Amino acid sequence: MTKAETRSARRRSGIAAVVVLAILAVFAVRLFDIQVVNADSLRADAEKHGNFTASAVLPGIRGSIIDSEGTVLAASSVAYDAALDPALVDEVDRIDDAGNKYVESWGRLAERIGAIIDMSGAEVEEVASDALEANPDSRYAVLKKGLSTEQYRALVDLDAPMLALSSEKTRTYPNGAVGGNLVGFLDASETPQEGYEQLENACLESTDGRLSYQRSGDGGVKIPGTTKEDPAPHDGGTLQLTIDSDLSWYLLQMLKEEVETQKAQAGSIMVVDVKTGEIKSAVDYPTLDPNDPAASDPEDRGAPVLRRLFEPGSTFKAVTIATLLDAGAVTPLTAVEASSNETFPNGAQVGDSFAHPTYRYTVAGALIDSSNVALSKLGELVPDQTRYEYLKKFGVGEGSAIGYSYEPEGVIHPADTWDNQTHYATSFGQGIAVTMQQVVGAYQAIANGGVKKPLHLVEGCTSADGKVTAPTLPADEQIISEETSEQMLDLLENVAVQGTNADAIEIPGYRIGIKTGTAQVANGQGGYKSGVYFTSMIGVAPIEDPQYIVMVSLDQPRRVTSSAANAPAFQKAMTHVLQYYRVPPSTEPFEPLPKFAE
Amino acid sequence: MSIANASLLPFEPAPRRQGPHLEALPTRRRRPRLAYALVAIAGAALIALAQLGMTILTAQSSYDLAAVEQQQRQLTLDKQELTEDLAGLASPQYLAANASALGMVIDSTPSYLRLSDSAILGSGAAAGDTSTVNVQNGNAAANALIAQTPLVTDDELTIADVTPQQEAPATVTEAPPLEGGLPTPQTH
Repeated sequence: MTKAETRSARRRSGIAAVVVLAILAVFAVRLFDIQVVNADSLRADAEKHGNFTASAVLPGIRGSIIDSEGTVLAASSVAYDAALDPALVDEVDRIDDAGNKYVESWGRLAERIGAIIDMSGAEVEEVASDALEANPDSRYAVLKKGLSTEQYRALVDLDAPMLALSSEKTRTYPNGAVGGNLVGFLDASETPQEGYEQLENACLESTDGRLSYQRSGDGGVKIPGTTKEDPAPHDGGTLQLTIDSDLSWYLLQMLKEEVETQKAQAGSIMVVDVKTGEIKSAVDYPTLDPNDPAASDPEDRGAPVLRRLFEPGSTFKAVTIATLLDAGAVTPLTAVEASSNETFPNGAQVGDSFAHPTYRYTVAGALIDSSNVALSKLGELVPDQTRYEYLKKFGVGEGSAIGYSYEPEGVIHPADTWDNQTHYATSFGQGIAVTMQQVVGAYQAIANGGVKKPLHLVEGCTSADGKVTAPTLPADEQIISEETSEQMLDLLENVAVQGTNADAIEIPGYRIGIKTGTAQVANGQGGYKSGVYFTSMIGVAPIEDPQYIVMVSLDQPRRVTSSAANAPAFQKAMTHVLQYYRVPPSTEPFEPLPKFAE
Repeated sequence: MSIANASLLPFEPAPRRQGPHLEALPTRRRRPRLAYALVAIAGAALIALAQLGMTILTAQSSYDLAAVEQQQRQLTLDKQELTEDLAGLASPQYLAANASALGMVIDSTPSYLRLSDSAILGSGAAAGDTSTVNVQNGNAAANALIAQTPLVTDDELTIADVTPQQEAPATVTEAPPLEGGLPTPQTH
């Protein structure tokens, strides 16, 4: 090989190497471009067109509502919707068990679909034809909503290509109307509408998650390592209420019968544990079945037991007496003279509910006979401001710790704005407006040695990860002395034993204390309805160790129009509560107080 | 021995370095050991096989997983179906309606026996046969879940309808026809 030949060969191989390197460099740049620079958009593109990725909704489950015993009052479940794709409505090729091909006509298939969802075959066909008539390109026509799992599975087994089935969350209330007034309900789109479903939605609410994964070409098996939960689903917490379902059922059934017997428009019962302030039952009649709220009147879909505002009337005479005893102005035997109708020096006129000669009542007697005149005179023994302050301490005008939706605050005007009539009326429960929980709360303090416990309906919320959140409640408060509390219980027992309802409310074996109340009902035109009242009766038992307070109210009873109408309902309710909670009968004897002073 | 008496060691000069001592080794070419190569190749093959095996197993188990998930879906549906069947059957109104259909009553006058002295507390009277609530006169606690569910104790009745249906008489006597309106008494 000559020198020139060698040089030429070297040059050629040099050029070849440069060319090869240049091509390699181009490839490297392109590789970098594909793998790094445009990687994300290419991957997204592939996922879009390749049909090998899939995702599914991971449904979060809304939390349950349970009662004090753990009985489920509201739970989440699944219902199914069936729809037709009118474009696919046609006969279907099938192969029978023997392997022979045959054709199933649309009419026959429609019959079979209809048999499952309680429609006739013709109706099913009509849904499809109507949808096509309205829109020839229609691909979706709702057949039936809210199908059960059994129906859903039967439809799946039909293997009908035109059927589109989807699931939706629903809510069931296993106990129906028992506790329904408090539990509330959701609307069709699962938005809470009423009750604790709405009030404690933050506890119960769930959020759906999403699972995405790559799947195999043969039937969508998830490729290992590609599943991704983003976001993860979040289940709602369990809300526990303080009410008891079995007790509430009895009270609801009994209340219905009493409302009907007394020809009242409505009624409510509340039961409270004296020592804890837990509301064991708060029932309304008429009420609603949250499984089917549309079946009841719109005004019956709430909880009037917690939302009704009324003049308490005579039940608040007990608060006046407690004020006077606590302020040291009277003893249970302090004498007061009262005739059945008196005009006071300031011009105010006060009358009793029954005609009587001038009596020289004791404080006990004034309460037993529920004399407005006597109470007016007794009320004057302390300044208006003192009575105002005690009324506020007992909870009037302060709402309640329950904090229910649309719960009224109650009405009480400052003492310096009381006019001549109000000056007296406030001592016998008029001129103020309260809710049932405020009356029961006042009696709870009287019965609990003067310690006011906040009434509450929520026991707590247990989140999905087990964290328990108890409601924040105001602190206990000693509002009257223990001695006043004992004197008050003694007085209330005398009302029960010596009052006009004594026989009707007697519970053999138990010592109880009660007070009745009657309030006028607004006629909606600035005045009051005549002859009909909002009546109530509240009681505490057993007197020697008070454990439960029961309050019954009836809206405009017409068979007996006075508060005596509440006696049978109260007696049954209190008997059942004592029996239900296994309260031992009383053993100490009752000692009556004189009704009249010497 | 005091420090003064310490005899000073004579300073020994460091041995003089005599430069690196290099020596040519006899050039002996080692024969590459075949064993090492075999181990390396076998190792690589083993790793490749293990990985292949793992992949096959993972892929297989993902099919198993899919099958089990499908089974779980069916079982969830089973559970759902059974739960739907049972919904409302534990409710107090259903229990009460069943009890009432059997003729059971809720007594209004509880009595208690005190074991310590055999005293009877409470009313002390025998329980009557009247119930303080009467489900047969109409159920107050509606429950759409079991509105159509027959009672266990009487499968012809539901909670809304505990009273046995009175059969309508087969023939209804017709009122006599009136001529000239209602008869008016003659009064003076």
